Amino acid sequence: MASYNIKINGQTRSVEAGADTPMLWVLRDELDMKGTKFGCGIGQCGACTVHLNGNAVRSCQIPVSAVGENDITTIEGLSEKGDHPLQEAWKQHDVPQCGYCQAGQIMNAAALLNKNSNPSYQEIEDATHGNICRCGTYNKIKAAITTAAEQL
Amino acid sequence: MKEQLTTSRRGFLKLTGIAGGGLMLGFNLTGCDTLPENPDFRDLEINAFILINGDGTVTIKAKNPDIGQGVKTSLPMILAEELDIPWKMVTVEQAELDSRLGSQFAGGSTGVKTNYENLRKAGAAVRDVIVRAAADQWGVQPLDCKTEDGFVTHGSKRLHYGHLAEAAAQLELNEDPPLKDPKTFNIIGKSRPDVDLKKIVTGEALYGIDQEIDGMVYATVLKPQVFGSKLANIEDSEAKAVPGVIDIFEISQGDNPGNGLGGVAIVAENQWAAFKAKGLVKAEWNSPKGFISSNERLRRALDRGASSKGTVLKDEGNVGNAFRNSDEVIEAKYHVPFISHSQMEPMNFIADVQKDKVLLIGPTQTPGSAAASASNITGVPREQVQMKFTRIGGGFGRRLLNDYANEAVLISQKVERPVKLVWTREADFLADYYRPAGAYHFKAALTGKNLEAMEVNICTTSRYLYRQSTPAHGTEAFPDQQPAGMIPNFKVTYSPLKSNIPVGALRTPGVNATTYAYQGFMDELAEKVGMDPIEFQLGLIGTEDKDMPYEDHGGPTYNTVRLRNVIELVREKANWGGGKSQGFAAQMIFGSYVACIVDASLVDGKVKVDKVNVAVDCGRVINPIGANAQVQGGITDAISAALYESLELRDGAPIGQNFDRYEKLRITDSPEVDVHFVASEESPQGLGEPSYPILFPALTNAVYQVTGQRIRELPLKKHNLV
Repeated sequence: MASYNIKINGQTRSVEAGADTPMLWVLRDELDMKGTKFGCGIGQCGACTVHLNGNAVRSCQIPVSAVGENDITTIEGLSEKGDHPLQEAWKQHDVPQCGYCQAGQIMNAAALLNKNSNPSYQEIEDATHGNICRCGTYNKIKAAITTAAEQL
Repeated sequence: MKEQLTTSRRGFLKLTGIAGGGLMLGFNLTGCDTLPENPDFRDLEINAFILINGDGTVTIKAKNPDIGQGVKTSLPMILAEELDIPWKMVTVEQAELDSRLGSQFAGGSTGVKTNYENLRKAGAAVRDVIVRAAADQWGVQPLDCKTEDGFVTHGSKRLHYGHLAEAAAQLELNEDPPLKDPKTFNIIGKSRPDVDLKKIVTGEALYGIDQEIDGMVYATVLKPQVFGSKLANIEDSEAKAVPGVIDIFEISQGDNPGNGLGGVAIVAENQWAAFKAKGLVKAEWNSPKGFISSNERLRRALDRGASSKGTVLKDEGNVGNAFRNSDEVIEAKYHVPFISHSQMEPMNFIADVQKDKVLLIGPTQTPGSAAASASNITGVPREQVQMKFTRIGGGFGRRLLNDYANEAVLISQKVERPVKLVWTREADFLADYYRPAGAYHFKAALTGKNLEAMEVNICTTSRYLYRQSTPAHGTEAFPDQQPAGMIPNFKVTYSPLKSNIPVGALRTPGVNATTYAYQGFMDELAEKVGMDPIEFQLGLIGTEDKDMPYEDHGGPTYNTVRLRNVIELVREKANWGGGKSQGFAAQMIFGSYVACIVDASLVDGKVKVDKVNVAVDCGRVINPIGANAQVQGGITDAISAALYESLELRDGAPIGQNFDRYEKLRITDSPEVDVHFVASEESPQGLGEPSYPILFPALTNAVYQVTGQRIRELPLKKHNLV
């Protein structure tokens, strides 16, 4: 066990954890931030997507010891009032079914829009390919990202 | 609680939560016909479903588990409609397991269908007492009062529901309250987004896996590589050296796989330590005798079963004569693989077993069974088992079984602490209860353009082999499935195959396989007689308005006109025959009528689904936006299974143990799906499942149009297509 100071959602948080503990479990079990979801543990489903310096990463693949000075943003920190254009668009399109993958989908899409505020349909599909939605809400995800991009 | 009131009434309309002897209120209701500046009314439960809040808003209990099928929204909509309260004044809360709420269950697309009338009555009964309370106060007739915008009105007098709850709670609930004329519905039939939408998009802790209780420890379970293996030896010194590991021990739920598959439990101070230690446990297992080692062996065993003399489930006319006397006999063998549920939220459950009580928290489609099972395991009386179920990150039938909940109970019992059990994704693939694999052998007799006879011999790895009380063919073969009753000679037989692969219900159990096989074969027959596949099937269905017997789920009958209507609707909407590569299929499924047309193409040897049109008659639609999503979701789920999914075995172990080797549909393969509902005032049916089966044959029939190859075995990725 070691002590780590990690920058999450604009705050520095102190945690005790083994060096190889994935950020996913630090967020969920040490910091009680449950929005980031466990899906596969091997970076294949995208349910655990967070931002590392604005880029979408799979938090199940990032050991706490590798975070260092980098900024982490989670779904809880995406917007202050839950009104990021993507969150608004998700509500407008009533995207979720079971909803379990959706925080990861939104974080993944937010990283895309950070870099490219006007993505083409193909760019949306390519950027979202790594996030599985088992319920089949893919069409609404595409529509919601398009709507959010129009707001930016 | 006034016990005499709860026991004097029957069923769900019990008045259960009204104020008892200690009722002390600091205001006077009489003559109070305007809204006070600072309303100070108490929140009151009028029946088990409805709490009238002091401010006039209402809280409605969502009775059933929501696995993504939307019942946390649609069932409260039904209550709110008859309560006649604006939807914006409603807050929905998840109910716990509570016997007053009736059956609390998610499966078989039954949520809306079986609750519609009851919930209408429950909502109307509360509106009825609220109105009578107002009428009493005003000294007028209830029938002369109206409800609108959350108020009861009479002439210029108006009171919101919160004013009236206290008085209403003193009145007897009407067991047969007046119901609304459906023409006046203003909640049912209008799209309402999911009640948890905001919580989902902001990442609030909604799911079982997000729950915590004080003092809990974390657990996971190591599963054997070959299904049904028993633990022979365990070497865990390295695993126990992982910091935070508390205990490692075997758990077992006996020899019937239907109860649970057992394994090695690892308990730790945090989830990651448990996962890490699991990777370091060295366990030796004894594989079960005669285990299925490969897919080739499985296929041979299924074909042997289908070729054997099975149980005769239907034998109309004389198929033997018809085969001898017809112009032509056509045969085809269809196969479906084991497929995984792979719900996104991994299996998890919290159990706190104490000497005289048990607390359970978690995602289950059958909370009542989970509680009963915990009582059996621990010996704690059922009344002392509290069960809180959560929103569920996908069910698809996997969470009908409570093997994982039972494991949490066993582990908590052993370590004498509250436990949160979380499986890894690998454990999920190693201990899933897969959709049964099956073989479907067809034989048909044709004379001219007439289908004279058909025989179907089915063999599957039935999940009902786990039960003594149910015949193995239950939900595996559907003897009344069309074209039964539409041709003069018809025979269905069934043979079960015992295997070591655990099996369970998956989205339209059984029907998802038979629909593929039957509707695929019908397409072959249409081609043989040189007819358009839609015309061929419409010819069999006929133009008469008939109720066909259907003894399985979705019956007791289905109507030929409703089936014909969805076929004609999808034919029009999909521009059938417009020069595209299209496949068609239609059937009544679990009470709803679905017809589907798929447009497909081949890109670099891979099937691309370009467009799906589905027409649905599910009776009255409660929540259109949710209904549409369910149909789209079922179609998309089926595209995933049709293109990619199969449990592939090597030496008896699954090759795919995570999403790297068990492929699921990604956004890039997800086509546009247009859903067309038949406007209907028939009683509402469920929608979580019916669209799923119909996609398979519609897709493979389209692939035939593209490639000329009949796909009689899924998934498509196993075929070399050109």
